Amino acid sequence: MTAFFAQLLNGLTIGSFYALVALGYSMVFGVMKLINFAHGDLFTLGAYLGFSCLVGTASWFAGLGNPWVGIALSLGVAAVGVAAAGLIVENLAYRPVYRAGRLPLVVSALGISIVIQNSVMVIWGPRYQSFPTELVPQLSFGNGDFRITALQIFILVFSLVLMGAVWFVIERTSFGIAVRAAALDRETATLLGINYRSVVRFIFILGPGLGGIAGVMVGAHYGRISFTMGWVYALKAFTATILGGIGNIPGAMIGGLLLGVLENLFSYYVSDSWSDIFATLVLIVVLVFRPTGLLGERKADKV
Amino acid sequence: MKRIATIVTLALLNSLLAFAGGAKEAAPKELVIGLQAPISGAYAAEGQWARQSAEMAASLINAKGGVLGMQIKIELADDAGNPKDSALAAQKLISKGVKLVVGSYGSGITIPAADLYDAKGVISVGYGCTAVRLTMEKQRPYFFRTCGRDDTQSAFFAKVVEGMGAKRVAIMHDNSDYGKGVAVDAKRFLEPLVAAGKTEIIYYDAITPGNTDYNATVQKLKTLKPDLWFYTSYYSEAGLLIKQARQAGLDCLFVGSNAVPNPEFVKIAGNAAVKGTLMLNEPMPQFLSTPEASEFLDAYKAKYSEIPGSIWAVYAADAVNALVAAVKVANSTDPVAVSAAMRALSGAKGITGELMFDERGDRKNVPYQLYAYDEAGELSPYALP
Repeated sequence: MTAFFAQLLNGLTIGSFYALVALGYSMVFGVMKLINFAHGDLFTLGAYLGFSCLVGTASWFAGLGNPWVGIALSLGVAAVGVAAAGLIVENLAYRPVYRAGRLPLVVSALGISIVIQNSVMVIWGPRYQSFPTELVPQLSFGNGDFRITALQIFILVFSLVLMGAVWFVIERTSFGIAVRAAALDRETATLLGINYRSVVRFIFILGPGLGGIAGVMVGAHYGRISFTMGWVYALKAFTATILGGIGNIPGAMIGGLLLGVLENLFSYYVSDSWSDIFATLVLIVVLVFRPTGLLGERKADKV
Repeated sequence: MKRIATIVTLALLNSLLAFAGGAKEAAPKELVIGLQAPISGAYAAEGQWARQSAEMAASLINAKGGVLGMQIKIELADDAGNPKDSALAAQKLISKGVKLVVGSYGSGITIPAADLYDAKGVISVGYGCTAVRLTMEKQRPYFFRTCGRDDTQSAFFAKVVEGMGAKRVAIMHDNSDYGKGVAVDAKRFLEPLVAAGKTEIIYYDAITPGNTDYNATVQKLKTLKPDLWFYTSYYSEAGLLIKQARQAGLDCLFVGSNAVPNPEFVKIAGNAAVKGTLMLNEPMPQFLSTPEASEFLDAYKAKYSEIPGSIWAVYAADAVNALVAAVKVANSTDPVAVSAAMRALSGAKGITGELMFDERGDRKNVPYQLYAYDEAGELSPYALP
C-alpha cells in the first residue's frame, strides 16, 4: 500500500507539470483555435532562465543560507521572462498571419518553435545543464520506500494554488467572462464591446508564464535540463489537453494530473517502456466514448 | 538583345566554371574527409568532442605534410543524434562529392547513413556505433568502424558478474539498437551462469528514453532487491536513473555499459550518486599511453584545455588516421582501392593502438576494461576481486 501511495504522489508531481503546461495550450486553443507549437519551447526557455538566475544570483544569497530565496527568485524571473517571450511570439509570429487563415498560423507556430529551440541551444550550449544541488533545497521526509522532498511538496502545493488562481480568474472575474465570451464567439463578443486584442494578449502572458514556472520546477526537481526537454513535456501536455477536453480550463488540469498518475502507476506495476503506449491508449478509449474529452469543449448554452 | 546577352554570359560563366573545375582536378591540394556527428540533439556533447578530435587529427597530419601531397579538410554534417537527420546528413555529404566519411555516434543513428554511403560507394568509418548487427546482419563493403563490437562487451560483462559474485542481476536497456543489442547479448552470455545456479536474472526490461522521471522504475527495481544492476544504454538516462535510485535508497552495485562513462553522466547524477559505480569500456582517453596518444592528447589539451570526454571521440580521430593510412597505402583516394587497403592495413599506428580491420569491417583486437568512479567523480581502473 505504501508503494501505491508513493507512486500516486510521484504521479501527481509529474501530472502537475503536465497540467501547468496543458493550461497554456488549452487557453490559446480555446480563444484562438490555434495549437501553439512554440509552447513546449517556451517551457524550455523558462527552465534555462530559471537556471541562469539561480546560478547567477547564487553569490548574493550565499550568506542567507536559505536556498528557497533563490528558487523563488528564479520562478519569478522565469514567469516574467517567459510571459514577455510569449507576448513577443504572439506579435512576431501569429499576429501578422491571423488573416491568412489557420494553416499559415500552424506553419508559423512550427517555425517559431524551431527558432526558440535553436536560440536556447546557441545561448546556453547544446550540452546538458544541471541545477547545482547546493542551490536547490534538499530537505526530505520519510525513508527510501516513501520519500517526499520539501521541494516536491512545494511543487504540488504551488501548482494547485496556481491552477486554482487561473480557475478563479477565468470563472469568477469579469475579465474571465470576457475571455470565455471571446472563446465562445469572437464576433459577438467584439460586438458587445469586448476588446479581443487584450484577451489574446492576456492568454499569451498567462499561458507561457505558467509554462515557464513549470520549466523551473522540472529543472529544480530533476536537476537536468536540455534544450530539447520541451518536446516530451509538450507532447504529454498536449495529450492531457485533449484528454481533459481541449479549450476547457478545468479539463486541462484534470487531464494533466490524470495522465501523470496513470503513466506512473503503469510504469511501476507493468513496464516503463510501454507507459507512453498506455497513455495514448487511455486517450483513444476516452475519445471513443467522449469525443470532446473528459469534461468536453465548452459550447454556448442554448437559451 | 537582352536574351542573347544572358546566353553569352551564361556560356562564358559555364566555361569558366569548367576551367576552374578542370584545373582543380589536375592538381588536387585538398583531401576532403566528411565527418557526420551529433552536433545538436541529445548527444551533442559527444558530437562536439568528435568534431574537435577529428579536426585535431587532421591538423596533426597536415602539419606533417598531409597525405599524397594533399592537405586534409574536414567537412562537417550534423546528424542531430537521430536516424532521420542521419540520412539527411549522409545525403548532404554524398551530394557534395565527399568520398571518405567518418561517422557516426550511436548504432541506430549510423545504420541509415551507412546504408546510403554503401549504396553510393562512399567509405564510412563509424566511431561510436558498437551494435553487432551493424557489421554482422549483412556485409557492407564500404563500412568500417574503429570502435569494438558489443558482443565483446557483453561477454566481458558475464565475467564481471562472476567476478563480483552477484546472485541477483537486473538488466535494463532503452530499446535502442545499441542498448537492446548489449542487453540481449548480456543475457545470452549469462546463460551458463544461470544454468549453473550461480546467478539469476531477476529483471530484464526497457525504459522509455527521453523521459525525466524514472522513480517508478527505480522503486520497482528496489522491491526486487538486485545485487547488480546493469544499464546498457546512454549516459543521459543513466545519470537520471542512478541519481533517482540513490535518492530512493536503492544502493545495489550499478554497472554501466560503454556509452555511460563520460563527464556528462557525472554532471547529471552528481558525484555522490556515481561513487562506486562500475563502468565497462574500451580504454578511456585518460588511460591511453602510446606516443601517438600523448601527442594527440597533448595537442588537444593545449587547444581545448581538456581531453575528449569519451573514447568515442578519440575513435573519430582514429577513423581519420585509418583513412589517411589506407589512402597512403592505396596511393589513391578511390573508394574501391581505399577500402581494399583498409582491410589489408597493417602496422598503422593509431591513437588507440594498431589500426586493423577484418573482412566485415570490424576493428581487430579491441580490449575491454573495468573502471570505477570515486567520490570526486573521477574514473580509475578497477580490478575484479
